[in-house]
Amino acid sequence: MLVLSRRVGESIMIGADVVVTVLEVRPDLVRIGIKAPRDVEVHREEVFIEVQQANRSAASPSKKDVEALAAGLREEKNTKPDDAGGGAG
Amino acid sequence: MTATLIDVPTLDFAGNLIGFPSAHRFALVRVAPDNEVLFRLTCLDIEGLEFVAAAPYPFFPGYAPEIDDATAERLELQDADDAMLLVLLTVGPDLASTTANLFAPIVVNVHTRRAAQVTLVNGGHPLKAPLTAHLDPPHRAARQAS
Repeated sequence: MLVLSRRVGESIMIGADVVVTVLEVRPDLVRIGIKAPRDVEVHREEVFIEVQQANRSAASPSKKDVEALAAGLREEKNTKPDDAGGGAG
Repeated sequence: MTATLIDVPTLDFAGNLIGFPSAHRFALVRVAPDNEVLFRLTCLDIEGLEFVAAAPYPFFPGYAPEIDDATAERLELQDADDAMLLVLLTVGPDLASTTANLFAPIVVNVHTRRAAQVTLVNGGHPLKAPLTAHLDPPHRAARQAS
């Protein structure tokens, strides 16, 4: 891992267009500002890992399960009282 | 001019779906022609990669997460009406085991179809919310009434 020392207000460039700036340093917390192009995703690592796992478990469900889901919801809708007119509002 | 014969909207991710670095473009189609809330998201970049997404409102009526400024800027959202939300489903073998990811919804600019998966770190929204949890009470009430 590359290790750099920076003071508050100083930045690091990653590639040509990602700028990481140290905004504030407290004993147990560092606030960091990130400037990145629109196509660069920026996430907290633990959040990224959690969502990555959720996305992986959601990926490519079996055709059978999807059909069963659609059929199950159709059934729910049909047994529900006729209040669907309002929609999403 | 006739209308386009096949009009399948394509979502164009500003970035990618989290954990799938090369998944940028997804075709969005209804799971069934008569189903207005369930969609199939078929990746156009990775063969065989597919998701099922839902419009959250019928299932989670109170779900109205605030879109942060950075996302609004990335997707060029001017106001709330520009944005459509989809939640990814983890489809289980039955309705009860199917969950929706309310923590990381997909935000779509309805005009440009630019999309991003956002993480709602401060909203307290679950990563796996049972899909039909909120459908059940009225359903049961209706049964009792009849």
